[in-house]
Amino acid sequence: MEIKDDKKEENFAVLLEDLASLETYARDLFTFLPLPVCLVSSIGIILEVNPAFEKISGYKIEEIIGQSVDSILDQAGLKELSEETFKKGFVEAKEIDILRQDKKKIPVRTSTILRKTEKGEIIGYFIAFFDLTDIKKKERELQDAQIALLNMLDDTAKGREMAEAAKNETLTIISNFADGLLVFNRESKLSLINPKAIECFKAEAKKIIGKSVSELGQIPVFRPLTNILGADLTKVFRKEITLRENLVLEVTILPLLEKKEKIGTLVIVHDITREKLIEKMKTEFVSLAAHQLRTPLSAIKWTLKMLLDGDLGEITKEQKGFIEKTYQSNERIISLINDLLDVTRIEEGRYIYNPQPFQIEKVVQSVIDFYQEEIKKKKLKFEFKKPKKKLPKVKIDAEKMKLVIQNLLDNAIRYTSLGGEVTVSLKDIKKGIEFQIHDTGVGIPKDQQERVFTKFFRAANAIRMDTEGSGLGLYIAKNIIEAHDGKIWFESQEEEGTTFYFTIPIKEEFTEFLKTF
Amino acid sequence: MEQKPTKEQAQKLMKIKGEVRGVTFKTDIEYILREKGEGGLKEVEQALEKLGVNLKYKDIKTMDFYPVGLRVLSLLVIKDVFNFSNDKIKEMGLFATKVSLIIKLFTRYFLSLQRVFFKEAPRIWKKHWTVGTLLPVELNEKEQYAIIRLKNFNLHPIYCHYLGGYFCGVLQLIIKSTQITSEETKCSFLGDEYHEYLIKWK
Repeated sequence: MEIKDDKKEENFAVLLEDLASLETYARDLFTFLPLPVCLVSSIGIILEVNPAFEKISGYKIEEIIGQSVDSILDQAGLKELSEETFKKGFVEAKEIDILRQDKKKIPVRTSTILRKTEKGEIIGYFIAFFDLTDIKKKERELQDAQIALLNMLDDTAKGREMAEAAKNETLTIISNFADGLLVFNRESKLSLINPKAIECFKAEAKKIIGKSVSELGQIPVFRPLTNILGADLTKVFRKEITLRENLVLEVTILPLLEKKEKIGTLVIVHDITREKLIEKMKTEFVSLAAHQLRTPLSAIKWTLKMLLDGDLGEITKEQKGFIEKTYQSNERIISLINDLLDVTRIEEGRYIYNPQPFQIEKVVQSVIDFYQEEIKKKKLKFEFKKPKKKLPKVKIDAEKMKLVIQNLLDNAIRYTSLGGEVTVSLKDIKKGIEFQIHDTGVGIPKDQQERVFTKFFRAANAIRMDTEGSGLGLYIAKNIIEAHDGKIWFESQEEEGTTFYFTIPIKEEFTEFLKTF
Repeated sequence: MEQKPTKEQAQKLMKIKGEVRGVTFKTDIEYILREKGEGGLKEVEQALEKLGVNLKYKDIKTMDFYPVGLRVLSLLVIKDVFNFSNDKIKEMGLFATKVSLIIKLFTRYFLSLQRVFFKEAPRIWKKHWTVGTLLPVELNEKEQYAIIRLKNFNLHPIYCHYLGGYFCGVLQLIIKSTQITSEETKCSFLGDEYHEYLIKWK
């Protein structure tokens, strides 16, 4: 059947229409394909590229079509790629570099597929590229991060090694430390004890590590220590404990701070047994010597007294003068001996206190009365201030308290220049009585104030003013006050004066006891 | 200085017998769009309209046939509107081979230089034109040259330049060389019987 001409023309128009649509479809598909694609002839000439290829290669279509594929692929990469394509018919996901027009290399993942005629003749091959720039960048960043992480881990390992070495060093020091060391953690549980402390307490480390202070207190040997540690492990400086007859320890408790935060407590136990023994021997010697000296000195005193009183006959004025001076010197030696004996008694713990309820102002007044003559002689402006209301009685050893006040008043008068001021005050401070003695004397130099209450200490300016004085008065005074559970302290400014204070507490049970009267 | 195309010339050209495939207009469109943009294309259409020819380039169908005179006129107007040199026209011919759909369809036959030159080139011509005959004369791969002849193709001298570029472009797709040149050694407009091109490569 023959098709009419006009029908043929109509069919031809339809075919052209379809062809145009097909062309548009193929063009759109190729244009909008985001994957760079190119067609390479069998001899390696680029026959077709899409816009995505233009973008990745930097070449315009007219610049790259007709060019050898060598212009974008290096010889080795191309050879391998084409050989594999011709051999297998395709290449899948091969990573190579392409060279852009601006000579910049771009990493790509390449896939190829052969193009053949119906007869199987090879026309060339299609190459598709997948830009790996971002992936490679991310990979590099990841690798960098990995390297950085490994470096950090390495640093951490080194840091750990250093910390381990430092820890071992510290443990070695602790282990070989001459003093006993006990470390309590945040929870106040024993976390470390060194060999010296184990030796002192004769305890097995594994049995006591991890125990709290109260648990340690149940072990008899630890009880003297736990008594001063208390539940909250408060700071203590050089407190003595006797563990056994021949073992005296000096305990210091310090908080372990890290950036002001308490992370534990360090207890240092220092063996002072030997020092105590030497001190005891020294005290015994002083005591013995003082006792031995006092008897002949008393005999000298009474003989001199008899001479001065004329019991042994008339003496000339000149002779009297000499004997009086000798008598005064002898008195000073006796006073010094008495002080030394007091000190030895204090140190031996034999300084017997006999506390009785007493009106302290009476003790103060009696001492003041004794010094009236001296006050007048030095033309001092003296004042005794006491509250209008009668002060409560305090439990004191009146004799010893008298000695304290005597020492303080004697110093105030002695080191205050002619015409100066001395004021004695008594105050009711509710929980006790506060004694205060203020003078306008020479004062105590700042750099020597720390040593004021130590044995035999005399301030440099005091020695210059008065060569007499044993340097034991304030030491004895401090011991007496502390034996009464009181406190003694002072404030002083050189050339302006000094104020000494002490307090004597009124104990609860004593207050209750007084109420019964 | 070449004369501007006139209405009379247009009418005369439109009377030339023979047809050409729409793809040749399409490659021109691509070139103008790349070089001058949408505005450039509009300028050419307006210039054609002034000559009494109403041509909408985007309506042209790649595979349809159009009068050869219209093709010549289109090229002359493009040259005139943009003041293109002959080299620029040659470049348009070269560019056409890179974007031509018919060339793309022919790449499946680009199996060897011999085959393309002697067998496919005349076919490609026939796919485009109903006028003129393309005759492959000589292909010397050793000496690196080829001679091609074009008979009965006397449309307008502007085509001598265009085809020079076109032949170079086709050879670029089958010869691996960055230096391919063409020279019109004989021209029917200069009294020769035919057009002849010597194409060389290195």
